[in-house]
Amino acid sequence: MIRALGAIGLGLIYAFLLLPLVAVVAASLTAGELMRVPPQGLSLRWFIRFLESETFREALILSLRVAATTVVVTVTLAMLAALCHRALSRKLGAAFRVAMTLPLLLPELLTAIGLLFFLNSLGLGKSLTGLQIGHVVIAFPFAFLAIVAALEQVDPALEEASCSLGAGGLETFRRVVLPLAKPGMLTGGLFAFIVSFDMFTISLLLKPIGGNTLPLALFDFLTYDFDPTAAAAATLSVIFALLGVLVIERAVGLRQAF
Amino acid sequence: MRRALPRLLLGLPALAMLTLFFVLPYVEMVAMSFRAPAAGQPFGAGYTVMHYTRALGDPIYFGALIRSLITGAVITALCLLISLPLALHLARLKGRWHVVFYACIVSPLLIGVLVRNFGWMLVVTVDGPMNRWLLAAGLIERPLRVLFTQGIVVMALVHVFTPFMVLPIATALRNINPALRDASTSLGAGRFETFWRVTLPLAFPGIQAGVVLVFVLSVAAFVTPALLGGQGIAYMPSVVVRELIGSFAWPFGAALAVVMAISTLAIVTIFTLLTQRLAERTRA
Repeated sequence: MIRALGAIGLGLIYAFLLLPLVAVVAASLTAGELMRVPPQGLSLRWFIRFLESETFREALILSLRVAATTVVVTVTLAMLAALCHRALSRKLGAAFRVAMTLPLLLPELLTAIGLLFFLNSLGLGKSLTGLQIGHVVIAFPFAFLAIVAALEQVDPALEEASCSLGAGGLETFRRVVLPLAKPGMLTGGLFAFIVSFDMFTISLLLKPIGGNTLPLALFDFLTYDFDPTAAAAATLSVIFALLGVLVIERAVGLRQAF
Repeated sequence: MRRALPRLLLGLPALAMLTLFFVLPYVEMVAMSFRAPAAGQPFGAGYTVMHYTRALGDPIYFGALIRSLITGAVITALCLLISLPLALHLARLKGRWHVVFYACIVSPLLIGVLVRNFGWMLVVTVDGPMNRWLLAAGLIERPLRVLFTQGIVVMALVHVFTPFMVLPIATALRNINPALRDASTSLGAGRFETFWRVTLPLAFPGIQAGVVLVFVLSVAAFVTPALLGGQGIAYMPSVVVRELIGSFAWPFGAALAVVMAISTLAIVTIFTLLTQRLAERTRA
């Protein structure tokens, strides 16, 4: 009896976690005019409407561009930092890890406010470069944690073996560490992409004049209009996240990545 | 040692990036909060403490701060309430099922806060599924209007932050040696007593980390109250953003942000000190 009640409670909690996501995807698939769950008939017409909307299309392109740059920059920085983390002693390593993950542990809003002032004093206020910097700072810890986790699976003996067999530091990195770190880089890059693609507060405060990212466009749309195009835009994020989870599970296993 | 040095240098780019674009902006925020205001510009020349006296003296701002702190505490408590069973459930699972349920918990983490809040909008609207189910079950007589209330803000934020609570607790539970639990049961303790006196104290560091993280993040959450809270209820983050973007009053906005950050930090410190003591006592 208690067991059954416990199972029902647990089921309700899982339903609570997944319900809003299911609602977004369901609403985007409607064939009707109204945004509602469950949808009235099934169609992809609102996805087509989404791609036809100039506001959304421009926002999507800006988001994808910023996210792509964020991936390249964060993965490079995070890979280097993760290698440094590996060389540190246990105690120093723990401190270094906390320092590297600070942007994740402090509220995005506060970081955004600080950056707003700081970038302005550098002359980068309301510029694409400024927006890009904000995305890199927030996305960096995700890439760092993923790569550190992946490198932890690499036996240091392999590097020592490579070195003792006559390979130099760079060659060992290129032929031993890099291939073994690849799944971590993939996961870290995915994280960075998804985090950047969905970032809201930083983008709101740092966006260049006239440049909206997809979440900003979606927010405006939700405040003024309310048709299933919004659900189609949001479903895009859900799809990216699900693909991300699948790839991460395949590449390194979910538990190692989080 | 010859090889260690270049390795350490590899950390420099990231360290430089974070110092320049993370640490310095926080310094800049504090400095900005002491700047004099100016008409027609974000800030003027000279320094003043007037923004702090205004932030703490005006009941509008002080009220918003208190509301945000209390709401943050409620959200943290509710998160803990649903995260403990989730983490315990995860700890019991093995193999394929573990992956499936783990994915259920972490995949919301990969979906933007805005999208998840929007999902709640769809669920709770007047003709949405929640009202229809409740009506069909005969629990309510007319549809509930929960959109743009404090209740929906709390619920959506609990949803947003639950993974942040589950993950550290699950990690702590995973590190508990199962032999300890077996020992407790074989010494005659019941399931509940084992949970209360063995599992819970050992999972405590994870719980503490989760509580601190969720509280810090929920007090400063901006998107959810802005989207689901409507115009009627003022939370501190919305007030800060309005000062910065709407009124263009940077120094005052910065002072409000600093006040919010310091009060959060103070509460977290008190909480950590108090619970640390509690944890030591249960261990003794």
